[in-house]
Amino acid sequence: MNKSARIKALLTGNRVDRVPHFPFILGFCAKNLGLPIATIYNDAEKSFDAQMKTFEQYGVDWGPIYGYASYGTWEFGGEVEMPSGNYQQAPAHKMFPVKSESDIDSITLPDVKTAGCLPIAMAFSKLQQSHGTPISVVLGGNFTIAGNICAVEKLCRWMLKSPESAHKIIRLATEHIIEIVRYWADTFGAENVIPQFWEPLAANLIISPRQFKQFVFPYLVETGERILAMGVRHILHHICADHNANLPYWAEVPMGDPGLCSFGEEIDIDKAIEFLGEKAVVIGNLDPSLLLTGQPEQITERCREIIEKGKKAPRGFMFSSGCEVSPETPGYHVYLMKKAIEEFGVYP
Amino acid sequence: MFSAKEKEDLLKKIHDSVVEFEEEVTADLCRQAVDSGIDAHDAIIGGLAEGMVTVGAMYERNEYFVPELLLCSDALYAGLDILRPHVRAGTEQVRGKIMIGVVEGDIHDIGKSLVKTMFEAAGWKVFDLGKDVKTDRFVSGVTQHDPDVIALSALMTTSMLAMPKIIEAVKAEKPGVIVMVGGAPLNHDIARRYGADSYADDAVSAVHEAARLFSNSVPD
Repeated sequence: MNKSARIKALLTGNRVDRVPHFPFILGFCAKNLGLPIATIYNDAEKSFDAQMKTFEQYGVDWGPIYGYASYGTWEFGGEVEMPSGNYQQAPAHKMFPVKSESDIDSITLPDVKTAGCLPIAMAFSKLQQSHGTPISVVLGGNFTIAGNICAVEKLCRWMLKSPESAHKIIRLATEHIIEIVRYWADTFGAENVIPQFWEPLAANLIISPRQFKQFVFPYLVETGERILAMGVRHILHHICADHNANLPYWAEVPMGDPGLCSFGEEIDIDKAIEFLGEKAVVIGNLDPSLLLTGQPEQITERCREIIEKGKKAPRGFMFSSGCEVSPETPGYHVYLMKKAIEEFGVYP
Repeated sequence: MFSAKEKEDLLKKIHDSVVEFEEEVTADLCRQAVDSGIDAHDAIIGGLAEGMVTVGAMYERNEYFVPELLLCSDALYAGLDILRPHVRAGTEQVRGKIMIGVVEGDIHDIGKSLVKTMFEAAGWKVFDLGKDVKTDRFVSGVTQHDPDVIALSALMTTSMLAMPKIIEAVKAEKPGVIVMVGGAPLNHDIARRYGADSYADDAVSAVHEAARLFSNSVPD
C-alpha cells in the first residue's frame, strides 16, 4: 500500500497493511532542512516543503499540517511571538486581546479570511489540496482558544467567580471555529476537510472533570454537530496532556465516522481504546520527552508497547508522538519510530 | 484585646475564607485581626498559611484544581497585603530562601506562580525571576539573593533543554545550592541526568520536597 491508499483505507474502515505513521513533527522539520523554526509558522510553502521532505525521510503517512497551540491570540487582535533562540519551539503569546472582563463585550469575531495566521493556513491548505494530502485546518479546541484570547489564568478565575464571562469567551471561540470550518468547507468541499482541534488547556492538569463538563463538553458537542452538519466527515481531536478524568465526556463528542483522536502520553492506549475505540481512529502516543532524552532501546521498547496496544483498536490506529516532537530531538530517535512501525506495526 | 478563644475563632475564619477563596472576606478578617491587636505574624501562620495547607491537601486529593488554587492564592495575597506591614521585626520566621523562574524560551508561568504561592504560604522567602529567564539572570540572582533552593520550571520539551546549563552555572556560582526542577516534560530521571537535586510534579509536593532537602542540608 502507498501512503495515500493506507490513509484512505483507514478512514473508510478497510484493511490496512500496517499501522500508519501520523506526524506531530513541526519545528523538527525546519531544523531538518536547515531552516529557522519560525519558517514552519510564517511561510506556507517552505513549511509544507520541509514537512514533505522530512516525512519522506521518516516514513510518515499522513500529510503536512499547519497550526500551533497558542492559536487565537493573534486572530482576535493580540500578539504572538514567532519562535527564535535556542529553546523555543512554537509561537508564544505576547499580548492577549482580552485583558479584563470589561474588554469582553467590545471584542468581535475576526474576519476568517484575513485574521492572524489564517491567510497562511489557507495557503497551506491549498498546498495540501494540490499535493493530494489530507486537507486540515488546525485550531485550538473551544476552551483552548478561549484561554488564548484572555489568558488561561483569567478564564480559570472567571469560571468560578464570573461564569457568564467565561461562557462569553468560549462562545466567541466556538463561533470562530464554526466560521473557519465553513470557510474551509466552502473552499475545498466539506467532505474533503478534516479539521483538527488541540485542547491542552482543558486537561486535568488545569481543570476538573466537573469544570470540563460545564465549560468544555457542551461546546465540543455543539461544535461537532454543527461541523458534521456541514458535510464534514471526520474531525480530529488532539486530547493533549492528562485528560484521563475527561474521557467519559470525550466519548460522547460527535467527531464523524470514524472520528480521529490523538492522545497525550499521559493516557494509556488501552484506556483510549476503551473510551473512544468504537467511534474513532486512535492516534498516539509516544512521550516526546522520552523521544528527546531516552536511550534508543528505551524508545524502541516504548514504541513496541504502544503499537501492540494500538493495533487492537477496532476502528484503527495511527502511531504518533503524544505531543509535538522537540526540534532538538536526535534524528535517529525519530527514525526509531519508523523502524518500530516496520517491526511491530504490520497487520497479519 | 481578643481572648484566646476569640483569636482562635478569627484565625479559623481566616483559614476558611482562604479555603473558600473569599478574597474580600479574607482581607476584612485580616483587618479585623490587626484592629483587634492580634499579632500579624500569628494571623499569617495560623490563618492564611494554615488555609493554604488545607488547600494543598484538597489539591492533592483532586478536590481542587488550578482555578480554585488561583482564587485561594488571590485570597492569600489579599490577606498578606493587610498583615505584612504589621509584622513586628524579628517575629517573622523564614523557613528558607528560594529563587524561582521559568527557563529561557518558555513563557508558561501558571505552574511557577502556583509554586511561588505555596512556598510563600509555607513561610519561605521567595525571589521570583519571572518567565523566559536566561542563564545569566539565574546566576546573577544567586549573587543577589543567596538562595538556599533554586526552582526551575519548563512546560516545553525544547525549553527544558536550557536546564542543564543553568544548573551547572548556578552550582558553579554557589556549590551546595539545592536545585529542583518541575514542569510537564520533566520527571525524576531527566532531573537526575540534568544534575538537579530533585524533581516535583506539582506545587504542593515541591514545598514538601524542598523542605526535606533543605533540612537534610543544614548541619545539626
